Amino acid sequence: MEASNTRLWPFEVVSNEPLAKDIWRLVISSGVAAEIAPGQFMNLQVPGDGSHVLRIPLSFASSHGPSGTVELIYAVVGEGTRRLSHMAVGDTSTLVGPSGRGWQLPKAPGRSLLVAGGVGLPPIVAAARMLAAQGLGFDAIVGAQTAERHPEGQIDLLRGLPANDLCDCARRVLVTTDDGTLGIKGFTTDAMAQLLEERAYAQVYTCGPNVMMAGVAKLAREHGIACQVSMERMMGCGFGACACCNVELAKGGYALCCQDGPVFDAEEVAW
Amino acid sequence: MVSVNMAVNLGGIAMRNPLNTASGTYGNGWQFEGFYDVGATMGAITCKGVAAEPWAGNPAPRLAELSGSAIMNSVGLQNPGVASFVEQYGPYLQGLRDKGCQVICQVAGHSIDEYVRATELYEELAPFASGFEINISCPNIAAGGAAMGATPAAAAEVMRAVRPRTSRPIVVKMAPHDVAEIGRALEDAGADALSLINTIPGMSIDVRTRKSRLSRPTAGVSGPAIHAIAVRMVWECAQAVSIPLCGIGGVSSAEDAAEMILAGATAVSLGTVNMYDPACAPRILAELEQWAELQGVSDINELIGAFEC
Repeated sequence: MEASNTRLWPFEVVSNEPLAKDIWRLVISSGVAAEIAPGQFMNLQVPGDGSHVLRIPLSFASSHGPSGTVELIYAVVGEGTRRLSHMAVGDTSTLVGPSGRGWQLPKAPGRSLLVAGGVGLPPIVAAARMLAAQGLGFDAIVGAQTAERHPEGQIDLLRGLPANDLCDCARRVLVTTDDGTLGIKGFTTDAMAQLLEERAYAQVYTCGPNVMMAGVAKLAREHGIACQVSMERMMGCGFGACACCNVELAKGGYALCCQDGPVFDAEEVAW
Repeated sequence: MVSVNMAVNLGGIAMRNPLNTASGTYGNGWQFEGFYDVGATMGAITCKGVAAEPWAGNPAPRLAELSGSAIMNSVGLQNPGVASFVEQYGPYLQGLRDKGCQVICQVAGHSIDEYVRATELYEELAPFASGFEINISCPNIAAGGAAMGATPAAAAEVMRAVRPRTSRPIVVKMAPHDVAEIGRALEDAGADALSLINTIPGMSIDVRTRKSRLSRPTAGVSGPAIHAIAVRMVWECAQAVSIPLCGIGGVSSAEDAAEMILAGATAVSLGTVNMYDPACAPRILAELEQWAELQGVSDINELIGAFEC
C-alpha cells in the first residue's frame, strides 16, 4: 500500500477545438498540472447530465506546471466525450488526479521507439516530451485509420521536439494510415518492422488499440527490446477503489489499470 | 451552531456518525485520503470483501455505464485472501480505528466452510476489525455469494455457522429480495445488524454483437437509479426486525441519506457515489447534520424510522 496523491481539483476550460474528425484538443487550467507525470491520467467530470454519472478518464499530451495548464487530446466516442466537446472556454468543473503510474525512462542507454495508434497518441506525445526533456533520442510511428483522423500538428510537433545529442542520424517520424490516405499504407506494426531492420532501439513505448499494442509488444520481444504499454480500460472510479478496470497478467490474476497501470511492462500483460 | 448528537450504534459497532461505505466502492479506505481525512470523518468504513484464500475475480470487462444514473459491475470479489489483506492494509486500518473510525471487515465465501474459515482467520489476524459484514448477496460469483442468502433458511444457516466464531458484531449484507423474511431469519440466527441492499442483478446487451457488455450475462446494477428501491426495502426490513440496519443503495446526497434514516436505517453507506464524487462524504455528513437540526431533534437517533405514513 502506498500513500495516495490522487485529489479533487477544479479546472477551467482554456480552449477546446477539433483537431481532426472526432478528435479534439482541450486545454484546461488546473492545479493538477504541477503534479502530473507523463503517462498518468485524470478523470474529468462533464457537468450538466445527471444520467451519466461516471467521470471520463483521459491521458494528457502535455502539462505546464508554472502556467497551470494541461493539454488533453480526446476522441469523441460516446455521450460523455460528446458533451465534453461542448464545453466552452471559461466553463468549469472538477477532475480527479493524478491517477496511475506513468512512463518510466529507458533503463538502458540508446534510442527509444514510440508507437501510437489512433487516440493512443496523447500519452505518446507526453512520452516524447519526457524523453526530449532528458536529451534522449527517439523515433516515432503514428498510425490512424485514415488521413482525416490524424490530429493536425502532432506529427510536426514530434518532429520538432528538441533533438537528442546521442546520434548523428535524424529523428524518424513515420505516419501510417490503414487506407493509405496519408503516409505509409498499412499498420504501425508494418512500419515498426521496417524501422527495426534499420535501427537499434533500447526501449519501445506504445499506446493504441489493444490488438496493435499486442503486435508492437510481440515485435519488441522478438528483437529483445524492453517495451512499455499504456493500457485502456472502461473505468469506474479511476483511482483504485472499485476494481472494475482489470488487466489480465501473464503470471495469472489481474492488475488494476487505474492503479497498477495504465503503463505496464509489456511482459507483464497477458496478450 | 449545530449541536445534534450524530453518534449511532450499528449492532454493537459504535459509530461517531451514521456514515459508512458500501464494500467494493471504497477500496480499503486509503485511496480516499487525498480527498479527506478518512479516519477523522467517517463513522465507519466497510472494506472490500475478502475470503480465506485469494480470489482472482471475473475477467474484463467488469463494468458498464448505463444511461439513467446507474452502472453495472461484475468484479466478482477479487481479493488477496485474509492473511495478505491484513498484512497489506492492517496498519492503515488500525490507524483509522485510532482516529475513531470503525472498520468493518467483509467476509466472502463460496460455501459455509469458506465463510467460517475466513471469519476464523480474521478473528485470529485482524484485531483492527470493529466487526464483520457477511456477504451472502454478491450477484457476480458462480458459487456461493447470492445463492448463500437466497432463502431465509440458507441465509440463517450461514449466520448460525459463523456466529460462534467471533464475539465481535456481525452485520449481514442482504440481497435485494424478500428482505423481511430473510431479515427475520438472520435476526433469529444471531445477526447483530443487517445491511441492504446489495446491487440488483441486471443485464446489458450489446445489440450489435448480441453479447453482454460485461464478461458475464448478468451483473449488479447500482447508482442513484436504484435509490428508491433500496429505501423501500430498508423500510420493509425495518418493519420486520428489531436489529439495526445499514441502508445502502444509490445514496448520493444528504437528502438520500436522510431518506434511508427515516425509512429505518441506523447507518447509511455511500457506494457508487464514491466512484464519481469521491470527496462527497464530508459534505454529505455536514448536510445530514443540518437536516437533523432543521428537523428539530437533538439526537439523530430520534429520526431513525421516523417516516410517517
